[in-house]
Amino acid sequence: MVSSVRSRNSIFRPIDIMVEQFGKACQLLGQCLILLFHTLKYIVRGEIDWRETWRQSYKIGVESCIVVSLTALFTGFAMSLQISRELVLFGADTAIGGVVSLALVREIGPITAGIMVAGRVGSSVAAELTTMMITEQIDALKVMRVDPVQFLVVPRFVAAMLMMPALTVYAMALGLVAGILIAYSAANVPAATFLDSVKQTILDRDFGTHFLKAWTNAILIIVISCAIGLRTRGGAEDVGIATTRTIVWTMTMLFVCNYIITAVTYAPR
Amino acid sequence: MVRQKQPPKIDSSTQPMVEVKDVYKAFGDKAILKGVTFNVYPGEILGLVGKSGCGKSTILKILCGLLEPDSGTIRMHSDEVGLVFQGSALLNSYTVKENLAIALRRRKLSKQEQERIIAEKLELVGLRGFENKYPTQLSGGQQKRTSFARAIVNDPKIIFYDEPTTGLDPVISTVIEDYMNELEDRLNAASIVVTHQLSTWTRTADRVLLMHDGRIEWEGTPDEALISSNPYIQQFAYAKREGPLLDSTI
Repeated sequence: MVSSVRSRNSIFRPIDIMVEQFGKACQLLGQCLILLFHTLKYIVRGEIDWRETWRQSYKIGVESCIVVSLTALFTGFAMSLQISRELVLFGADTAIGGVVSLALVREIGPITAGIMVAGRVGSSVAAELTTMMITEQIDALKVMRVDPVQFLVVPRFVAAMLMMPALTVYAMALGLVAGILIAYSAANVPAATFLDSVKQTILDRDFGTHFLKAWTNAILIIVISCAIGLRTRGGAEDVGIATTRTIVWTMTMLFVCNYIITAVTYAPR
Repeated sequence: MVRQKQPPKIDSSTQPMVEVKDVYKAFGDKAILKGVTFNVYPGEILGLVGKSGCGKSTILKILCGLLEPDSGTIRMHSDEVGLVFQGSALLNSYTVKENLAIALRRRKLSKQEQERIIAEKLELVGLRGFENKYPTQLSGGQQKRTSFARAIVNDPKIIFYDEPTTGLDPVISTVIEDYMNELEDRLNAASIVVTHQLSTWTRTADRVLLMHDGRIEWEGTPDEALISSNPYIQQFAYAKREGPLLDSTI
């Protein structure tokens, strides 16, 4: 009965739903900004639990390596295959390396690592913190006068800021390996020619954008997942809701912010 | 069955450790606390009893600073507060030792001193040798005892117990109740135990407050509770179906 009422509402009241979602988005934005402010306050003061930060770095960085490897490799294969095919038709096969590397450094590297970390780490952080809220573990920290932001968010934030650039560089490198393999097998372009084209095409500015995107992704993943996790109450069902909400918001914001950075740095002047 | 230990000596000159005066709290339209007033003295265990939803846990959360009262005053004459949670609330990704160490963080002790305190508290609750176990590797009773050790790691002068024996078998419940009495004797803390369990409040509390519908309906010792003619405490103590406790809800 309740679900049928809900579905009827969602069909016939799109404006209400949009207003409600906008309200929730504004609320989440506010929570994220407050959380980010508190997190940065502890970092500026140097109040960082390095032991926990290394533990989180392992979870975020090392344990994400396999999924990042697979996605980067196959994205690299697919992209290189498409690019090689088109450039060979125009006789521009020596430019394959440059085009593939541009795509990898500017977009594919950061976004692939970002999506994989958002899916693996963001969901796990949100589920962990929500469970901690529900089982009163966060209350226990507060009673012990331990700030949950300092104890839980700061190490994850610092770990993500350290690990995301490493993962994006790793994703980019694997994408390049995939590009070299495809360029050689599909277009008969030697590795040396491919790498020469890469060197001639990639600028320092591209790496600047690459790292800017990596750090932006790290901030988005940790702040959104922690803000949702630390604000959720209820029972087991709410852990699933919080996790889904984290994935949806993080992925959406990753694409939006990546586009904004691209638009600001590469807009035609 | 009733606690054998002598109750603490409290006279007009004794300064209360916890003072709660006229506390009101509502969630939305629903009033949970409607003017609750009581004191807790050093060396005393106060049993806060009542049926589910009467406001016991809310008052405990207000005392711990997890909730703000809408009005009224709370005075705590010590900064050192320990809380034993109903569900233990141990941090699952940390070992027993690390769970206790978290409570010691702000004291900035040397590693040796920290280890000494942790070993002493684990000895007290009979959990030496469990330092490197994770909470999920412990039984319910062991988790509860770890929660005890964590609550007392800073030698608090005020200890709160939220349903410390709920969900435990009668034997483990007796062990936990004995720990509560032992801790009281060692620390001379002011304690509040929120519980439904008859054995817990009769074996541990020096004084009992029965809460009903956001108010304190009856106050007395566990001995008095068992012979009182007050319909509220009589119904609660003897788990009677008929009586005023169910009137407002059923």
